[in-house]
Amino acid sequence: MADTALVTPTLSDAPTPGGAGRDADAPTRRRRGRVGQERPNRLVTVLLALASLTVLVPIYVTVTMALKTSAQAVDGNAFSLPAPLDLTNFAAAWRLTDFPRAFAISTLVTAATVIGTVVLASMASYAISRNWDRKLFRYSFFYLLAAMFLPFPVVALSQIKLTGLVGLDNPGGVAVLHIMFQLSFSMLLFTAFLRSLPEELEESARLDGASTWQVFWRLVFPLLAPMSATVGIFAFLASWNDFAMPSLITADPSLQTLPVLQQIFQTQFSNDYNVAFASYLMAMAPAIVVYLVTQRWVMAGVTQGAIK
Amino acid sequence: MPTPPLPSGAGLSRRALLGGIGAAGAALLLAGCAPSGVRSGGRTEITFYQTKPEAIGYFSDLVDRFNASQSSIRVVHDSTSGIAAGFVRGNPPDIAAFTYNLEMARFMERGALSDLSDMPEAATIRPEVQQLVDQYATYPGRTSVLPYSITAASVIYDQRLFADRGVEVPTTWEEFLAACQTFTSAGVTPIYSTFKEPWTVAQGLFDYTTGGMLDVADFYERMNAEGTAVGRTGSVSFEKDFAEPVDRMIQLAGLSNPNRNSRGYGDGNLAMAEGQAAMLMQGPWALGEISKSNPDARIGTFPLPMTADPDDRKVRVNLDLALWVPESSSKKSAAREFLSYLMQPDIHDAYNRDFLAFGTTTTAPPVTDERIVGMQTYYDEARFYQGASKAIPLTIPAENYVQGIVTGASAQGTLRTMDADWRRLALRA
Amino acid sequence: MSAVDKAVPRRRGRRTDPVFYLFLLPTLAMFTLAITLPAAMGVFFSFTNSIGFGDFDMVGVTNYVAMATDPAILGSYGFTMGFALVTVLAVNVIALLLAIGLTSRISAKNALRAVFVIPMVISGIIIAFVFNFLFSNSVPALGAALGIDSLRDSILANADTAWIGIVIVTAWQAIPSTLLIYIAGLLAIPGEVYEAGALDGASGWKQLKSITLPLVAGYIVINTIIGFKNFLNSYDIIVGLTNGGPGTSTRSIAMTIFSGFTGGDYAYQMANATIFFLIAVAIALVQLRITRGKAAV
Repeated sequence: MADTALVTPTLSDAPTPGGAGRDADAPTRRRRGRVGQERPNRLVTVLLALASLTVLVPIYVTVTMALKTSAQAVDGNAFSLPAPLDLTNFAAAWRLTDFPRAFAISTLVTAATVIGTVVLASMASYAISRNWDRKLFRYSFFYLLAAMFLPFPVVALSQIKLTGLVGLDNPGGVAVLHIMFQLSFSMLLFTAFLRSLPEELEESARLDGASTWQVFWRLVFPLLAPMSATVGIFAFLASWNDFAMPSLITADPSLQTLPVLQQIFQTQFSNDYNVAFASYLMAMAPAIVVYLVTQRWVMAGVTQGAIK
Repeated sequence: MPTPPLPSGAGLSRRALLGGIGAAGAALLLAGCAPSGVRSGGRTEITFYQTKPEAIGYFSDLVDRFNASQSSIRVVHDSTSGIAAGFVRGNPPDIAAFTYNLEMARFMERGALSDLSDMPEAATIRPEVQQLVDQYATYPGRTSVLPYSITAASVIYDQRLFADRGVEVPTTWEEFLAACQTFTSAGVTPIYSTFKEPWTVAQGLFDYTTGGMLDVADFYERMNAEGTAVGRTGSVSFEKDFAEPVDRMIQLAGLSNPNRNSRGYGDGNLAMAEGQAAMLMQGPWALGEISKSNPDARIGTFPLPMTADPDDRKVRVNLDLALWVPESSSKKSAAREFLSYLMQPDIHDAYNRDFLAFGTTTTAPPVTDERIVGMQTYYDEARFYQGASKAIPLTIPAENYVQGIVTGASAQGTLRTMDADWRRLALRA
Repeated sequence: MSAVDKAVPRRRGRRTDPVFYLFLLPTLAMFTLAITLPAAMGVFFSFTNSIGFGDFDMVGVTNYVAMATDPAILGSYGFTMGFALVTVLAVNVIALLLAIGLTSRISAKNALRAVFVIPMVISGIIIAFVFNFLFSNSVPALGAALGIDSLRDSILANADTAWIGIVIVTAWQAIPSTLLIYIAGLLAIPGEVYEAGALDGASGWKQLKSITLPLVAGYIVINTIIGFKNFLNSYDIIVGLTNGGPGTSTRSIAMTIFSGFTGGDYAYQMANATIFFLIAVAIALVQLRITRGKAAV
């Protein structure tokens, strides 16, 4: 369960970058501030394009292997294009690994994690940031934050025992634990963001008769949307891609998530590389799609967090 | 507009709120802890744990027959879980048929398995076989495990090759070496070895040579007693007591096929099926594989003689299947009913016959399959031992060590390392 | 934390709205049950000889003493620490260079940025399986074709080189998140700083050294410490690439601890986990100290 970026609120009192690209100058003597009017640095572009091959080549291999026939998959030439094109590997992997079931389970666990994390973290962050002067809230913040330095292996064995005892040795338990592990980082982001929300808005809402509950859900939570999106995406990635925890916590192999499924069937795939890669591709695709659609918010959220 | 009263309008005092949350949490916890007395259509449902791959289909049939034969219990066959996981999670199976070895003995030592001594079937087990269970560990006052199936292993040999060269089954170490010499001179590989897979070395050459020359049970009893003194001030150690058997093991390795380091379990079975070698140090599980490849093969077994005295010959046994019911099961009576079903003589004896194993009860019939009948007398006379490699805790990679020895590593150095590992484990046992 | 200073002073004597407790306490309670309680349990069991169930005795510090001389444990710490250090270095150097490139004047900026972020979106175990295939089949084939002998066998099959494969794959996945931080940090540098530097004749390499680097120093520190912590926890990728092999040469701390679940070394691995926790805490304290110093920047 690797953390993604940690940004502490204490860092950088540089001004807001304002979202899009104010870019540092390339090391050439250029006038500043004229976006789009300088010539792009060819050399750097080419170098970056070459570097991007390190990312694209494995993806390319994954995709082409998934489209190869069994015969071509073992001919030892991983970089060749599939010829002939074989589209049946996906169906084969689908059947062999009972993909729909694991996909449904992954989706449920991840959805529960995202929703649970956003709701619980935002509520707790709001309570803490608006009651900072009270010891309980202030100490709770540091207490919840401390978990960021608690590696999963430290609590894993005990969590296996406990989830077994209370009947949570299943995807439900995995979702609960995912939420708990995401809390620290999410609250860091939310509290940072909340600091930028002027309390005057809430004050005036209260003067109009709104209860704290209403103030939060009707006023503050909608305003938190950009950060909720960021928190949600990190929670999504952490949960969807997690391997270690579901493999240990969920007792029944037929209730496993997609990443664990790949490992379970690894020996069964053996030399059917084409089927194996089709399976990997199907497991990877949802996360890539979700990310490409929502990446804007991640960048914005990280930037905002870094500034605050 | 006047300041509205502080929002306690719902009458929710802080204390009441906290109390409510606590109660809800407790209720949730208790609900999860509730024993799952699952009743499916009025039947008590119990989980039967059995994972031996060759026998899964066999036991599935038995489970179906049992379920059909009565209407108070429904058995669910679990053939995929890991064994320790269920125990750690607090929901182990209700009854299991599983191999019994050092790892399982730890379960038993900690009181995880319930007492079966009051069952009538317990009294039918042969005492020497029940003693095999005690060699690993005991839980005083309990019969935690009922042996179900013993597999005996010794040297697998090609009867035709022996007959062709006029070699008799050797009864002493010297005769064995002479037999190997005869084969070598005739251009036949005396022994086929499969060193690529460590377990075949450990359960074959290593266990046979050590078991044939020492009292394995007694050795480990003293090793366990001496613990941290092993190899230092103690009287027993791998380095000292295993030196000679391991030397002979290396000698036998030298009499094996030249490609032994790259051959695996499957290769060995195939080679025997094709008559490529005279002998194979492998267990009875290989016999089925050999016959599959060549139904006409004439295969037999004899114990590896390690001394000059024929009476010293013993066969290696392991408790391939043993029945137990976990202490924490809430459906012990139902589990015991199924246990009794499994131990009905016709069912029990049929299993051992079909799987080339030896029955564990006093009433079990002798084996008839020509491939293992050679070991019957040894079994009857309790001239057997459990493999030395099986009494070493898994944290010491004994199999890998032994593989190292036969592929060239220093025997003395490796044995000394094993002593060091033993001492360190004993420190925290 | 400076947040304390920035808090709006509240009117004294105002009672806290109970709804705030509702917002905080259930989460606090669940967190304690799900995280703190297991941690405490783990510490307790580390002083026993429990195998995870059944009877057990209290054995004091025996487990800890035994750990100190256990080559398997020490080896896993040595390997994991060494691998984490190397990977952190590689990841940060590469990510910083990429960030500098990606925030400069280039074409197809958004497309390039999107591409470089993809690795972080894929599950570690799957990445490991893909690279396992590449290292075991494609690279040797390439090595044979190009006549490079050292690449002829899979680097994962050799105990001396397997760690390199793990570093490569771990870095592959870790660079994107590090990259994002650096990009954010670089974008935050006001243009005036560079203008002032340009006026003084700073450009190119000098600009990088004297202007850019000091201003992203704080980010470097953060990324390094977070990265190191994450790499210490390595599990998924190692399982998919080598599963701790060849032999036990690439067994990480996490793998060893998890083996206590089914390996019967439950209490012993709890002691291992507790020591690991203490090390993680030490690293966290180091971070807090350093970033507190950097906050003044």
